[in-house]
Amino acid sequence: MAELRNVYPFTALVGQGQMRLALELNAVNPAIGGVLIRGEKGTAKSTAVRALARLLPELEVVVGCHFGCAPRGDAMCSDCQGRLAAGEELEVTQRQMRVVELPINASEDRVVGSIDLEAAIHSGQRRFEPGVLAEANRQILYVDEVNLLDDHIVDVLLDAAAMGVNVVEREGISVWHPSRFILVGTMNPEEGDLRPQLLDRFGLCVDVSGITNIADRVEIVQRREAFEDDPVGFAAEWEEEEGRERDRIDRAIAALPGIQISRQVLEGIARLAIELEVDGHRADLVARKAAQAYAALEALPQVGLAEVAAVAAMVLAHRVHSRPGQRPHDIAASTRRVLGEA
Amino acid sequence: MSVYLSGVPVRSGQPESSSFSGVIGQERMKLALLLAAIEPRIGGVLIRGERGTAKSTLVRAMAAILPTQEQVADCPYHCSPSGPDQCADCSDRVARGEQLPVVIRPTRVVELPLGGSEDRIVGSIDLELALRQGRRAFQPGLLAEANRQVLYVDEVNLLEHHLVDVLLDAAGSGVNVVEREEISITHPSRFVLVGTMNPDEGELRPQLLDRFGLCVEVSGLRGLEDRVAVMRRDAEQPMVPSGDRQLAERLERAQRLLPRLETPELVVRMAAVMSVDQQVIGHRSDLVLVRAAQARRALQAAVTERPSADGLVVGLSDLAEVAELALVHRRRSQGGSLTEAPPGVSDPLSEQLAAPAEVGMPDLKGEAGPTGETTSENGLAEGEESPEGAAGATAELAGSTDSRPGPSTAQPVEVEEGFEVGRIQLPRERLRRRGRGRRSQTTSRDRRGRYVGAREVEHPTDLALDATLRAAAPHQVSRRAASEAGGRQLQLEPQDLRQKVRQRRIGNLIVFAVDASASMDAEQRMDATRSAIFALLQDAYVRRDRVALVSFSGRSAQVVLRPTASVDLAERHLTRIAVGGTTPLTHGLTTAVNLIAAERRRDPDVLPLLVLISDGRGNISLGGEEPLLEAQRMADQIRREGIRALVIDSSRDHLPQLAAARPSGSAAARFAGYNFNACVDLAERMGAAYFGLFDLSEGAILRPVTEALRQPQSSGRPSSL
Repeated sequence: MAELRNVYPFTALVGQGQMRLALELNAVNPAIGGVLIRGEKGTAKSTAVRALARLLPELEVVVGCHFGCAPRGDAMCSDCQGRLAAGEELEVTQRQMRVVELPINASEDRVVGSIDLEAAIHSGQRRFEPGVLAEANRQILYVDEVNLLDDHIVDVLLDAAAMGVNVVEREGISVWHPSRFILVGTMNPEEGDLRPQLLDRFGLCVDVSGITNIADRVEIVQRREAFEDDPVGFAAEWEEEEGRERDRIDRAIAALPGIQISRQVLEGIARLAIELEVDGHRADLVARKAAQAYAALEALPQVGLAEVAAVAAMVLAHRVHSRPGQRPHDIAASTRRVLGEA
Repeated sequence: MSVYLSGVPVRSGQPESSSFSGVIGQERMKLALLLAAIEPRIGGVLIRGERGTAKSTLVRAMAAILPTQEQVADCPYHCSPSGPDQCADCSDRVARGEQLPVVIRPTRVVELPLGGSEDRIVGSIDLELALRQGRRAFQPGLLAEANRQVLYVDEVNLLEHHLVDVLLDAAGSGVNVVEREEISITHPSRFVLVGTMNPDEGELRPQLLDRFGLCVEVSGLRGLEDRVAVMRRDAEQPMVPSGDRQLAERLERAQRLLPRLETPELVVRMAAVMSVDQQVIGHRSDLVLVRAAQARRALQAAVTERPSADGLVVGLSDLAEVAELALVHRRRSQGGSLTEAPPGVSDPLSEQLAAPAEVGMPDLKGEAGPTGETTSENGLAEGEESPEGAAGATAELAGSTDSRPGPSTAQPVEVEEGFEVGRIQLPRERLRRRGRGRRSQTTSRDRRGRYVGAREVEHPTDLALDATLRAAAPHQVSRRAASEAGGRQLQLEPQDLRQKVRQRRIGNLIVFAVDASASMDAEQRMDATRSAIFALLQDAYVRRDRVALVSFSGRSAQVVLRPTASVDLAERHLTRIAVGGTTPLTHGLTTAVNLIAAERRRDPDVLPLLVLISDGRGNISLGGEEPLLEAQRMADQIRREGIRALVIDSSRDHLPQLAAARPSGSAAARFAGYNFNACVDLAERMGAAYFGLFDLSEGAILRPVTEALRQPQSSGRPSSL
């Protein structure tokens, strides 16, 4: 994990509370479905995502599996399934969850995988060379400038995100493998919109802007300079803080299954979705999961309306339409009205 | 790191999604899928709807409730051991008197991924066999796998053109014809086509739309109880619920009941009447209506183990239940949008059905006559065929259109109204695929874009490895024998080399910058622009064109519509645009130019066209300068950046005295006094064509736009500034 040494510590970020919270919630429950971070240049978007890697939990991984399968569960690759079915005992190791980057100019072969050139030429074998979607299985898939991604790459990404499976039917290859990832994207809205279908795939969405508080700005510059002068020393300085944050996330992950959510709270979520006229049901489902993860982070035994209110903005920001001729929905006001001054 | 693939991948091991009966609500969608599963000849289902409405979940969950079927054990096309439409191999074996090995397998949902390549969908030469043994064998593709199964395409509106063509060929003929890589084979490919799509991302090609027997529009549940239930269900652990097992049994019973159904003539007539009444396009709907009604009757009857004789008679209630599903996508609606609430559709329909004796019957007698009877008898005969017959719905349809003019042809079909320039023939930046795998234009040379095929070139720069291997494969044995080295090394020769053909969606980006300032004809200007945009978007999916709208008034300009190809999105954003205030022309131009610059960053090949609709009399300054000079500077910049432009002059008064009557002090007014036309000036600076002196209407905007798009593209690259 040498590469991580040069990563800016998550806890050393100044401000940007919503963005940090959104990332933490996903670390606690990957089923939330990722984050889209919208904002201008230089607002620590990428820094925060890369920094998250240090705080992610360890995963149980089948040794030798190309897709990092879990030793049990329903999302195994055909290879692991076959080995299990044959009565084989799968060897397991612990590996830290990673942030896999999808470069904006990646070719489709690199993303979905392609035919293995060497094997084909040397021995006439048809082998599959896994791509980014294979690498990203059970990891965070990070797309910087996601709105600039080529259309056909977005299609492929959507397919995989929707199914949790990458189906490859190209270049003479027919194969599928699990590809369940936490999709994290950043974008600068001035450079163009995201396609609606892809937008909805992001569980949460936060808008970040530059910090205007002078003291905070000074702090940012100072920390950044200290980090660039001596990354290792800086990281060591923050190690204790990072350790606390890691523990907090680990505790939340452990507590998550036990967090209760009452019917009244579910009704609150549904009311809010109806009031804001969101498309479909994904907002409801994500709101429930995010509120539960939030309660877990806060070490609460159950979800109250206050927890829903705390995550409402990031669940709904990208799912509420503004209708022309009408005033745009005010998410904050609706949240207050529907959920009460909780 | 690479993975060795042994033969056919284990698809059955794909993660199970949630259960079919576990999905809450969405009864119409469930009904449509069940009907299509009971009677494959209905021709599948298209599900349209907003995101997050369990569309794909439900389709994938369908696998668990599909009936089992008898298959020839070792046939790659899952032929039926007894049934018709066997592949050449199976029918040969039967002819030789061979006993075919039979297995019972569940019907599957085969997915066609958007990123699939033609060779894997159609099938191609078996690479390994060819390379190792020099044998030329066919490796079946998805169309083979999908034979007698459900073929599912998620986001079907985004499927590449060449794949849509392949799909249409197979869906239309029931066979897949492969002519490639020295392989020539034809095999059956009859599948229940299921597609899901979000209309926000563009519409479906009409030919493909028509292939779908049924169509459902879905939206999220609006009830509080339902929404809470959805959240609770989502939190539960997935399991195989008893609901799915019961449904599977019911489906199997329904399929067995289908041949025993009785379909009264009245039902067949009523189907024809409905089609005519709803001004449906083509004849497919009559047949689909009857078959869907039969399937629905079978489904109802299958609730009990032993249905009564009465329960096996197809009734008008069955027809009523399926009418909307069969007609919604075939109806000629004004404006062509499918999502438009079909005006009063269900009401007259249900009225008709409620009182068939009074409304339906006399009408029928009056207009149908003997021809009508012929149709219905034929319809009945078809309905009584065994469902396993699965004789392609299309073949019969073709027959019914040609030889049996039913009552529907007797009635002249009204010509589509609404847009005077309904279909605009914009130049196409791509050649439509005819002949398999051949394509020339629109292909990008810079290795960007989707790899869609390969061709022979002398010096390939972007090697298509798979195609090269396939080309070399048949000759390996002889070449190895001839060469000294021998061994298992691949022997490539120059003539094997293949170049990747890549295709990108290059479309026009038409940016309207429209003056929304207060004037006598502001409303008219907006209306005309709006309908021009809708007309342009009608074909947007086919062309990959996108349209954006910037409006300027008061002291600012807004991007009212971001670049989109979606009629729905346009409708949502263009319903009401505020009109009034002053004319910030520079703001408008700047916003439009920035928008184009952003799109160009995303895709340098985009072909922008800026359409300015204004009187050219800007009177609000952006940077503190004289508004007109600012506008002129922007116009110069537009030319420098190589943006194609059009200026449509919305003022009707070029007479000096009228112009002078406007608020004085602005340069435009002063210039107007010297008989200076600001719009002509701007157009000249932009290098744009100028259109003026007419009443603004949709056509008046469309004609110049269409004309401009037809001009050969000089690939206007921004000369770096």
